[in-house]
Amino acid sequence: MTPTDPTAILDELVESIDGVRAAILVSVDGFGRARSSSISDEPSHAAMLAAAIGLAHQLVVMGGGQQLRQLVVDHDGGLMLVWPIGDERVLAVIATTTVEQRRVRAFVQSRVAWFTGARS
Amino acid sequence: MSAQTFKILVTGPFAAGKTSMIQSVSQTHVISTDVVTSGDESGVKSHTTVAMDFGTYRLHGDDTRLLLFGTPGQARFRFMTNILKGHVDVVAFVIDAEATETHAVAGVELRALARDLRVPAVIAVNRCDDITVARRLARSLGALDGEAVVPCQLIDPDSGREVVVEILLTLLASIESTTAEVA
Repeated sequence: MTPTDPTAILDELVESIDGVRAAILVSVDGFGRARSSSISDEPSHAAMLAAAIGLAHQLVVMGGGQQLRQLVVDHDGGLMLVWPIGDERVLAVIATTTVEQRRVRAFVQSRVAWFTGARS
Repeated sequence: MSAQTFKILVTGPFAAGKTSMIQSVSQTHVISTDVVTSGDESGVKSHTTVAMDFGTYRLHGDDTRLLLFGTPGQARFRFMTNILKGHVDVVAFVIDAEATETHAVAGVELRALARDLRVPAVIAVNRCDDITVARRLARSLGALDGEAVVPCQLIDPDSGREVVVEILLTLLASIESTTAEVA
């Protein structure tokens, strides 16, 4: 059966795509909404993601763009991919450098409605 | 003062009026990270700063320029204050006189900043017209005797400029006392 609640969907994302270690869904104002069971509940995570995506929206303007598509944090331990989900949510995926980003994006796009709360 | 740029940290509790102040006085486009609030906070206001506000103010006929760095107000974003507080010249501490439930935590924060940064502070007491009330509140928060206190209505741009004037006077006094020490 296909999971329909955000936590179960994030667990499915971790389990079904190689290289995905964890996923966190937060509100744009810095509250945790759901997380995969592979990552601990740490309130600062939600606040940091909200602040980072908030600034990234302004960096888009500085870069001459209009809409933020993705924020990538590329570090020595792997990748963090962060997306705005609708106007009110942010999704972060923590993964290895070798993760197939195309597959992660396709998975997320197919479940956007569940993350925004538009479906439940 | 000439050809000088000063960094002002605009901080204080959630919904105190920090963003309003920067928006009302900045002479350049304000970089803002306002987003919609959720949960209990949405009952207080519809939007909140999640990373920073940034605005500037240049004194007419002078090269003195203020860079205004506004912080988010909630404790969960405290790491942004820690990022922004480096090399600050003056702290503008904004407090809502009527939001009494925020005052205890604000006092702790103001005293911690004073100990940590050792720079002068200007206390902007928002939604207050009475200097006596504003001073009493500032003292109860732990403001020092010589620190500037400004009663203000930050939805009004003229009121925001009064806070900027106090910031400029505080900078001037700070420069004069430094010069006197050197001499």
